[in-house]
Amino acid sequence: MDNKLNAKDLINVGLFTAIYFVLFFVAGMIGYIPFFMLLLPFLLPLITGIPFMLFLTKVKKFGMVTIMGIIISLLMFATGHGWPVLVTGIGCALIADLIFKSGEYKSWKKTVIGFCVFSGWCIGAMLPMWIMRDAYFEQMRAGYGNEYTDTLMGLMTNWVFPILIVLLIIGGIIGANIGRASLKKHFQRAGIV
Amino acid sequence: MITLSNVSFSYEQGEQEGCLRDVSLTIQAGEVILLCGESGCGKTTLTRLINGLIPHYYEDGKEISQLPLYETAKLVGSVFQNPRSQFFNVDTTSELAFGAENLGYPVTEIEQRVAQTISEFQIEPLMERNIFRLSGGEKQKIACASVAVCTPPVFVLDEPTSNLDAAAIDEIRRLIGIWKSQGKTVVVAEHRLHFLRDLADRAVYMRQGRIERIFSVQELKALSQPQLEQMGLRPLWLENLTINRDPVHGTGGSLDLPRLFFSHDHRETPTLDVKDLNVPAGAVIAVIGHNGAGKSTFARCLCGLEKRAKGALQFHASVMNAKQRLKNCYMVMQDVNHQLFTESVLDEVLLSMAEKDETKAEKILESLDLSHLKTLHPMSLSGGQKQRVAIAAAIASEREIIILDEPTSGLDLRHMREVAQNLRRLAKMGKTLFVITHDPELILSCCTHLIQFENGKVVLNEALDARGAEKMLHYFLDAGKKRAEYTEETI
Amino acid sequence: MQAQLFQSAPINTSLRLDPRTKLLMMFILSVIMINGDIRGKAVYIRLVLAVIPFILLLFSGRIKASLFYAALYAAVWFAEAFLVYTTSGAANILIVMLAGMVGRFIPCAVMGYYLMTTTRVSEFVAAMEQIHMPRAIIIPLSVMFRFFPTIAEESRAINDAMRMRGIGINSLSKNPVALFEYRLIPLLMSIVKIGGELSAAALTRGLGGPVKRTNICKIGFGVWDFCMAAVMIAALAAYVLIQRGTL
Repeated sequence: MDNKLNAKDLINVGLFTAIYFVLFFVAGMIGYIPFFMLLLPFLLPLITGIPFMLFLTKVKKFGMVTIMGIIISLLMFATGHGWPVLVTGIGCALIADLIFKSGEYKSWKKTVIGFCVFSGWCIGAMLPMWIMRDAYFEQMRAGYGNEYTDTLMGLMTNWVFPILIVLLIIGGIIGANIGRASLKKHFQRAGIV
Repeated sequence: MITLSNVSFSYEQGEQEGCLRDVSLTIQAGEVILLCGESGCGKTTLTRLINGLIPHYYEDGKEISQLPLYETAKLVGSVFQNPRSQFFNVDTTSELAFGAENLGYPVTEIEQRVAQTISEFQIEPLMERNIFRLSGGEKQKIACASVAVCTPPVFVLDEPTSNLDAAAIDEIRRLIGIWKSQGKTVVVAEHRLHFLRDLADRAVYMRQGRIERIFSVQELKALSQPQLEQMGLRPLWLENLTINRDPVHGTGGSLDLPRLFFSHDHRETPTLDVKDLNVPAGAVIAVIGHNGAGKSTFARCLCGLEKRAKGALQFHASVMNAKQRLKNCYMVMQDVNHQLFTESVLDEVLLSMAEKDETKAEKILESLDLSHLKTLHPMSLSGGQKQRVAIAAAIASEREIIILDEPTSGLDLRHMREVAQNLRRLAKMGKTLFVITHDPELILSCCTHLIQFENGKVVLNEALDARGAEKMLHYFLDAGKKRAEYTEETI
Repeated sequence: MQAQLFQSAPINTSLRLDPRTKLLMMFILSVIMINGDIRGKAVYIRLVLAVIPFILLLFSGRIKASLFYAALYAAVWFAEAFLVYTTSGAANILIVMLAGMVGRFIPCAVMGYYLMTTTRVSEFVAAMEQIHMPRAIIIPLSVMFRFFPTIAEESRAINDAMRMRGIGINSLSKNPVALFEYRLIPLLMSIVKIGGELSAAALTRGLGGPVKRTNICKIGFGVWDFCMAAVMIAALAAYVLIQRGTL
């Protein structure tokens, strides 16, 4: 089989990226409410499960998932979500693509794992909060003294981060299963995949 | 010269539709060839052979099957059926240049070619525009122009006018005329024959994957209307059409719209302003008019989709505002794919019922010849079947007013007649139907009343008797020319 | 409003920038702003950079948006410079967090808004080709821009159909999953179908051939590009020097 991506593959990447991005925005709308922002890693894979599983039925070659990640990060960057998303976006997509490929784009277990990893890009959009946090508190410590700063730091502790990862994994597993169920229920019966 | 010799082809899933059996055809350079025949006869497959989507044919001694598609692109320009799915860019100017850019022509040359195409096709007003804001006809013109920029010797058009109104069809006729005068080879697969009768050099009639007969243009024009119908073809002369239905008696009473007013946010579409419209209840009302005359806006306002529309509908002693109309009207959309939601045909009908009643649903399915499909996924059905499912859901909803948006676009004679039969069936149930259409044959085979829109206003409202039919045909025969003059004036 | 990223019709502006310049500005802005220093000399660099999106918006005729941004940023500035030091308790934490968030992200978001509303899709694609982005990125990128409005069109039609059939938030409040499914499945089916037809059309028009694509869209650097790039690079250099303690 020809392993080079042809125009049809690239068009598929483009249109699924468009759908993915639109759904991300739907999830992101909810994310503008500060508390719900922490739920983004859960909501994103939950909502994008169906189109992503459909996308994977069209993916048989290495690179398509990676390109999707690159484009998402570029767009996130261009719409002002900061530079860290360039790193997580491309990184997560590349690793996810490798995982999918190791299962030859068929293994269900690897599909779920890959999907969780892929969805991890959104942590990058939230990363500035952590990066800035340390720099910020350092300055604050100089201005206000230790006690005050420590209280504040207590509110934004490090354990939030692992919670995000757990949310991401739960969301990814549910999302992937919803996606698979709707492939069976609709797309296979409709003769689309 | 294009030569096809003894070509057979079938699609993967072993479907009978669209396969080719032992087809041989020679097309001389500079000929305009009309491919006709019922749906599924293999017309589209033949066009795909020529444009290289299915590889297997010869041109200039080069075997195209071995040519990659980007090489074929220099030889054959293709225009497809759906105006919405064949453009790649969001603005018209980039779209025109797209093909030539792909072939790597130098920028100055592309600019020159684009400028020449624009002046040949007289499409200056369409340049630098957002393609999504263009009408179907304008999109199709851009599609023709953008393949013309690459100046291929052969053009292949697959049902280019399916979704177009009379004026836009006339424009496509003009563009094909330009290609003919330039000595290009043009192959058109079409159901609508009338606009091609003075352009085509030969007509290839196909049936079940074989070329049944090849007509010269004289032979084609000599065919009588019954002969054409026998072959399953649409008319060559709209003038010859006659009313072709049993008289349908209305249920008595009428639908009154004292006022229906709606103004768009953007200026491109005219304000809808309907005053004192009365139509008989239980009638099948044909709604005609140019694209952009306000037919679709009227339909959307009538069934309550536009909340801001002002005015109420009086029907059977009840007065309905937009919100109530939304519960009492049902629209069968042009693209029925948008309104099918569930995983089986039966569920689709049940979804429309306030109280789920499976026996009743089965009865409805049976009346529309859908029983054998009831467990299938609606999206796995053919276009006609999907439309019947949508109609079944409309019946199940028990709404009295049903609006159909261009139910026969792109259909051959047999399928058009099926639609007409279904509409008559709905009328027999006492429903009032509004049928937005550009298809005079459909109107004559099932409609009983006629309203015509122009610039957002109703300009004609009368029963479709012999006199009404004459006015209607007159409109379709004149539509093309009038509109063309009108647009030239505004430029 | 047309639901799409980037523009499709020509844009009138007195301050025309090349998309590449805009991207460079975006990058420098996001690097410096997100670090968000509130003390020392770096504060002034942030101030200078925060003014730039304001000027750009103003010159592209989006006066309302520019004034709104200016007011918002002034409030943040005021909060960071005074309120943080004069309040205490919960109010203080709230102010610190809000000002911190808004101050860091709003200039980038406004720059993103400027980028999207003053750049045409064809210009952006041309810029990507100019910086030698591989074709495997550019093709999906252009397809994506083309599909945003399509998705909007299709979902509008599906929404209409749902309203007409009485499938809405009310009737399905018991079953939100079904509501989501009814919206998404027909949309995906349409989009996949349109995508298939688009692929066929694009292939017959030579997309994906081995020849190097040309592009008739003209982009290029002008005086403004050099000015803006100079300001941004100077700001970045100064920022780095401050961080290293040399300035």
